[in-house]
Amino acid sequence: MVLKIFFPQCCNRADSGLLVGQWIPGHGSAVVLAVIHYPFIPGQVKRYIQQMQDQSGVELSVLGSWSLPKEGQEGMESFLRDLSTIFPQDRWLQISRQIGKMGFTCEVLTWDQNLKAFQPEAKKKKDNEDTESDVDAEHEEKEEEVEEKVIFIHYEQRKVMLSQLHPVENGVPSPKTDAPSELRQMFQTVAHSQPLFFLDKYDDGPLRSTHWQSEGREASIIVELLKQASVPLCLLITWLLSIWTWICNMRIFSLYPLRFLSSKLSTCVQLNYRTEHMTTLSSPTPAIGHTEFMRKANMLVSFLVDVALGMLLISWLYRDNHITMLANTLVPAADHVAKELNELLQWLMGAPAGLKMNRALDQVLGRFFLYHIHLWISYIHLMSPFIEGILWYGGLSACFGLTFALSLLSDMVALLTFHIYCFYVYGARLYCLKIYGLSSLWRLFRGKKWNVLRQRVDSCSYDLDQLFIGTLLFTILLFLLPTTALYYLVFTLLRLVVVFVQGIIHLSVDFINSFPLFAVGLRICRPYRLAEGVKFRVLCDEPGTALHLLMEINPLKCGTVVQTYRSPTYSCYPKDSWAALVKKLFVGELIYPWRHKSTKTD
Amino acid sequence: MGPDSAPGPAVPWQKVLWERQPYPDNYVDQRFLEELRRNEGIRQYQYWAVVKEVGFVGQQLSCVAIFITLWLYMEQGLLSPEMLLSTSLVCALLGYGVHQALTSQVESACEPRTRLADLQSATIFLSFTFGFSPVLKTLTESVSTDTVYAMSALMLLAHLVSFPYAQPSPPGSLSLNAALFASVCLASRLPGALHTFAMLSCALLVFALWPCLLQKLRENAPNQFTVVCVCVCLGGVGGLGSLLPGGAVLLALALGSVTLLCPLLLVRLQRHKDNIHGPWDEAEIHEDLSRFLH
Repeated sequence: MVLKIFFPQCCNRADSGLLVGQWIPGHGSAVVLAVIHYPFIPGQVKRYIQQMQDQSGVELSVLGSWSLPKEGQEGMESFLRDLSTIFPQDRWLQISRQIGKMGFTCEVLTWDQNLKAFQPEAKKKKDNEDTESDVDAEHEEKEEEVEEKVIFIHYEQRKVMLSQLHPVENGVPSPKTDAPSELRQMFQTVAHSQPLFFLDKYDDGPLRSTHWQSEGREASIIVELLKQASVPLCLLITWLLSIWTWICNMRIFSLYPLRFLSSKLSTCVQLNYRTEHMTTLSSPTPAIGHTEFMRKANMLVSFLVDVALGMLLISWLYRDNHITMLANTLVPAADHVAKELNELLQWLMGAPAGLKMNRALDQVLGRFFLYHIHLWISYIHLMSPFIEGILWYGGLSACFGLTFALSLLSDMVALLTFHIYCFYVYGARLYCLKIYGLSSLWRLFRGKKWNVLRQRVDSCSYDLDQLFIGTLLFTILLFLLPTTALYYLVFTLLRLVVVFVQGIIHLSVDFINSFPLFAVGLRICRPYRLAEGVKFRVLCDEPGTALHLLMEINPLKCGTVVQTYRSPTYSCYPKDSWAALVKKLFVGELIYPWRHKSTKTD
Repeated sequence: MGPDSAPGPAVPWQKVLWERQPYPDNYVDQRFLEELRRNEGIRQYQYWAVVKEVGFVGQQLSCVAIFITLWLYMEQGLLSPEMLLSTSLVCALLGYGVHQALTSQVESACEPRTRLADLQSATIFLSFTFGFSPVLKTLTESVSTDTVYAMSALMLLAHLVSFPYAQPSPPGSLSLNAALFASVCLASRLPGALHTFAMLSCALLVFALWPCLLQKLRENAPNQFTVVCVCVCLGGVGGLGSLLPGGAVLLALALGSVTLLCPLLLVRLQRHKDNIHGPWDEAEIHEDLSRFLH
């Protein structure tokens, strides 16, 4: 049985005293948290430990004694032995260190029920020497008494207290299944016993102790000031939000066309999303647990970064009359797109790519689409005096953040390419009708029909007139299919280009919204805060002293950080797989790759 | 002990499974092959009877030839659509009368179609064909003529192959559809919309209604049926001969081989038939074997 003692590095040079800590149940290990120095009154120590236990919820106890004899302090052996009777425990550690020597020596005493006194269980001195040099000697000693090896694991108390040990991923097999749980318990013990570390040397209490904060408590003035300032700020934001939600919940907004429109406009979606963020951030209850805290911090940081980027954008937009320039280029651009479409339609109405199309249908479709473009162009020209104003006020929305400006841009792209969307819908509907008609008429052609109840194709005897009309329609649809398919293909490609542009904008908005900036910053500046595991380094392995290990924290990988702390958001990824998308395109169903999760349930 | 080895004990073998016998499970005795029967229930075909039956195939072949002839006449402008329409109308009325007469002979009570239903169907045919004929006219405008011919030939062949010669009265879906598709393709090559309409009406008459009348004739008046078949065959050969003599020769050869040679072959090959029946169960696999394919 190996006894592992987790020993804080800050206590290496502490004065002699009592070791306070916790035995980890189920594992042969003890976590030393602090050293309480002489002189003390045992009753006060017991009361203090009881008090700390109540505050922290950790089962604290006196583990043993620590002695670092200075000059003139000799013969404490019996005194230390006596201490064990004052603080009765199952096991009593007697750790001592001598100036000038590397390692510690440790004696473990067990409470002997019969003798009502501690018996030395193992002498750590020379123990290692025996085991390594001479097997026989060890054997002899083993016969005398049950030995126990002691391993000292030094840890940095501050880092361990602040770090969050992440669960091991299932993909990585851990060689010892019980080792992580022991480590986790140790991390939890250190993190929970924060009240123990509040006692510093400026306190006037009767006790003196050594731990990582014993030289003075660590705090930041800015953080404290921010904490103070956040309370009225949160109240203000909550008040504003309550007004905003009251406006949003007004009846007029829940009417059908407005609700439908707001679910389609990405600006409204982004507004909802930010409102949700702000509600979470301004809630008066503090974050419970690490994940909740990280979520809030990520939200806050991404919001701040978003606003900062938006401000940059504003400063660029409103400086050299960029707005007017944009407005002046927008109308010609729309005109240009319309002209290109016009030419495309003219090309389609001829013999595109040498394909032979049905001339009559070709002319009808082409004229229909041309008229549509004509309507669109007159609409744009009607709008053109107001475009600058719209852009000017729309640009102001960037002060809410870059994501708003991007969402607005996406909406504007959607509105300006509305004619392409219309073309696509007409083409797709026509094509879909043809495909479905052809597939069912093909079954009629073969004398079959689709049985809805059994979900299969059954044979069926049709009447003479049914057969005649069906075949007539089948022939007509078959010969008109290439024309419709070509129109559908061209407009689908146009639509896909627009969808691609919008998808990129949405992806960037989604990235800003959900990227865990705080967690990544923490990973870069304070790698120990997000721990994946630990690694041990051998400090001192001299014969004659116990094994000393230094525990260092392994930081989490950056990819895992992003994966773990990425906040859940509406995904604007295609909800279908690629094969399903291609199938939909082939059959002529309408595709909405930019559709959000919320609207998908409608 | 193998199945063929002589039985040791003197217990007589019984063909039962519920008694324990000193024989292997697959043992049979000498009487096994006594019950063997050959060619049970075989019909000895008479040559001329077969030829009579085959007449239907021959006349269907000729029908296709007649249709093509009519189309050729229309395309070359030798036949006016009005003429074809009026002839078709007369034929249809005549055929309808004969059909009614044949139906009233046999008092078959199973769902008799009323005159009104017949009129309704005829109205639907005519109105749809007339309404769609301008569309059909321009349908294959941009498709090359060779493609149209190839498609028509393929479809007419499909019609002939899939025609239900044994029971043609409700015309088979695939055969009728293929014939109509071919006629639409051919009709769209004609110079005017009225031509298209006339051609489609004619196609309806030839491919949809004529087989029904012929079936009635075969059931009720077998002698007249033979005469009609011969007439149609001669008409087909003659009609085709007036425009394409080579085609007429080919058609005549085809008709001869189908109606005379093929029955002769059937009757000759009949004597080689050897079909055995016995007291055994034939092994039939009813299980779904598709799971072994994966």
